[in-house]
Amino acid sequence: MYNIPALVAILVFPSGIFLLAYGLFYEWVDRKLVARYQNRLGPRWFQPLADILKLLAKEEIVPQGVQTMLFVGLPVVGLAGALTSALYVPMFGLEPSFSFNGDLIVTLYLLSMMTLCLGLAGANTVDRFSLIGATRTLTQLFSYEAPFLLALLGPAIVTGSWQIRQINDYAHHHLWMALPQVIGFVVALVGLMGKLEMPPFDAPEAETEIVSGALTEYSGRGLALFRIGKDVELVIGLTLISSFYLGGLANPLEFIVKTLGLLVVIAGLQSLFARLRIDQTVGLWWRIGAIMALVQLLVMVGIRMVL
Amino acid sequence: MEAHESKKFVVPIGPQHPALKEPGHFEFSVDGETVTDASLRLGFVHRGIEKATEGRTWVQNLYLLERICGICSDVHGTAYSIGVEKLAGVTVPPRAQAIRTIVAELERIHSHMLWLGVAAHEGGFDTLFMFSWRDRETVMDLLESISGNRVNYSVNLLGGVKFDIDEKQAGEIRRGLDYLEERTRHYMKVVTTDETFLGRTRGVGLMSKQQAELLGAVGPTARASGVERDVRVESPYLSYGEFPVNIMLETAGDLQARFVVRINELFETYRLIREILDHMPSGELTTRMPRRIPEGETISRAEAPRGELFYFIKSNGSDKPERIKVRTPSLCNWGSVISMAVGHKLADMPMLLVGIDPCFSCNDR
Amino acid sequence: MDSDCTLQTAETLLQPWAEGYDHPEPNRLDVQVTAANLKSAVQELVKAHWGYLSAITGLDHPAPGEAEGEDQAGSSSSLPVEGTLEALYHFCCSSVWTTLRVNVPYSRPVIPSICDIIPSATLYERELMELFGVELPGTPSLQRLVLPDDWPDGVYPLRKSFTGFESPTPP
Repeated sequence: MYNIPALVAILVFPSGIFLLAYGLFYEWVDRKLVARYQNRLGPRWFQPLADILKLLAKEEIVPQGVQTMLFVGLPVVGLAGALTSALYVPMFGLEPSFSFNGDLIVTLYLLSMMTLCLGLAGANTVDRFSLIGATRTLTQLFSYEAPFLLALLGPAIVTGSWQIRQINDYAHHHLWMALPQVIGFVVALVGLMGKLEMPPFDAPEAETEIVSGALTEYSGRGLALFRIGKDVELVIGLTLISSFYLGGLANPLEFIVKTLGLLVVIAGLQSLFARLRIDQTVGLWWRIGAIMALVQLLVMVGIRMVL
Repeated sequence: MEAHESKKFVVPIGPQHPALKEPGHFEFSVDGETVTDASLRLGFVHRGIEKATEGRTWVQNLYLLERICGICSDVHGTAYSIGVEKLAGVTVPPRAQAIRTIVAELERIHSHMLWLGVAAHEGGFDTLFMFSWRDRETVMDLLESISGNRVNYSVNLLGGVKFDIDEKQAGEIRRGLDYLEERTRHYMKVVTTDETFLGRTRGVGLMSKQQAELLGAVGPTARASGVERDVRVESPYLSYGEFPVNIMLETAGDLQARFVVRINELFETYRLIREILDHMPSGELTTRMPRRIPEGETISRAEAPRGELFYFIKSNGSDKPERIKVRTPSLCNWGSVISMAVGHKLADMPMLLVGIDPCFSCNDR
Repeated sequence: MDSDCTLQTAETLLQPWAEGYDHPEPNRLDVQVTAANLKSAVQELVKAHWGYLSAITGLDHPAPGEAEGEDQAGSSSSLPVEGTLEALYHFCCSSVWTTLRVNVPYSRPVIPSICDIIPSATLYERELMELFGVELPGTPSLQRLVLPDDWPDGVYPLRKSFTGFESPTPP
């Protein structure tokens, strides 16, 4: 809807406060589902909000030997990137606030910015756990990024456009693209788990090996911002995938139902597997993920040329 | 080594680390993700127990030694009691022996289930962790109904046991074991067939039979490499003479074999407890013990869930011991970890450590 | 186990170095050896695959009059008997035990290390060194095992003469 003033769009809806709150809500759903799969009770609805508030209230300790500006600034930049990408996706089932040709690529880059900031933050810290975590984050970035992009490209090719709004419209008026493009759908979903460093792809922040990975030395505000950034990315990612593959998002009800459905599946996948080592992750993605995505792409291109 | 100093990147694990449930300090020198060197520092939980035993009476020492470790507390008390009773020349009535055996085996179940959960957690498989600990609650409840405590049951007395197991409790135990056996079958399936889990455990931490013998490994760690060492089989104590245990061996020698050995031991334990409950001898629970133990030295051994537990007890004829030496199984297995660590990835380190089932409180005493 | 797991076999193997035998219990054999002969005795047992080294125990035998405990080693003559430290090397084969006992005086508590024959003995030797004060030349690691790094040198907690510090040691 183009008549929302830009400032409101950024600060309140669809980005800003609304997105932050919605991200916390989805984090709660995810944690609750994983807990129930594991036969536990799980947190209450306000737990993620309480976590963020607590973190914001704590002192931020800047360790010795780091570049202070980078240390303090990277979480902000990462979160900003994630929040900005909300302007181009059909958030909450309504039309994207801003739309221009090629905004799919821009959105994907904005989402990757978060991961890059994470990797840089880890590399900036002198602590060895952070360094290993940063290395793993960036390694994982190189592994899943290509298949994930390719998987999101499939619907774009079918639509014949790089504009998210148009892809959304096309998906809404045609058969759910998850059906003819099953492989792409699966790769996109699992790729999202890799992007968000969810188990089984949580080697970069493997608690039992490297404490907290790149975020080990972060506390207080920086940690809170990174965590919110992850939640926001979860929402945006789910929006993109359900918009492309699950028949577009035309109204808020569809949005809620479809994204929650995907979240249930993701929570299930999280509980099912042991953590993959970083070399196993890379091997898996480059051998299976990339090839599957390529196959899907070729099939789509072939069909388009034929039709 | 000096030329490589600048390339060496040392990752410290411990004494405070989410991977370790107890403090210990490891330093792994890594090159990328591959470990090139490992060193170990223990002693963070050293309480000077061996010295403390010299100033306490024999009965007080029983309570002291049970608290060396929380997970294997009963087996410490058992080994100590057996040793002292040998010195005093006292024979414990058969019913007490049977009850001691049952509690020791229940402790083995509890320890192995705890280990399964912790090992799964180290591998990032939190679901298995939650499930196995939920099932472990069954054993804890059984032990609580027998002894009144979930941990540190303190069943042993010098000369017998404190608590009896009546018919009702025996029925509870049988029902609990049935439930646990069904759950254990499920875990066996997970450990042997789950793809991601196998990816973390198969081929990791290989130790051949010769290496295991040379490094002096004991317990399930050694049995997973095909070394036949089990105190219950070699020199039966308590009721293991009448109710023999089958030794569980695997030959692969990797992490997966260690999982399989421990789960097989669980099945064996269920069978053993049922057998003892079916043929429980009747009789007294305790027998009289002198206050002063005659002079002498003795060696007593017990099979703790982690391996062979060694007690050397020396008496000088008074009511306080002259020397009690405790050698716990985890101490033997450290050598194997240090030598296995080199060449593996850093991500495998926590699982390697947990594969030998380390108990730092036992080590440090 | 390649070798026959009987005490008879062990006795025969160790005959060249044994200073004295003892059978304190039916399944145990105690063999006295001198510090100089220790390594050869251990080598003999390892070569014949007679069991494995299970533990190394340290015992403190203070000279009579220095501690209340009764003195087990040493003669009962009126000559001043020096306190000794004793190290027991326990070898276990199936269900029988052979223990090599080495006595060394306080003034020269030196026992050669057996780590080149049995590498895993290093942990036990470290404990013997720090808790009793026995010197084991040739042992690969001199790091403390259970005592903290700032424990004062020369204080050996498991000797009978140690009865604790008067005031808590400063951190």
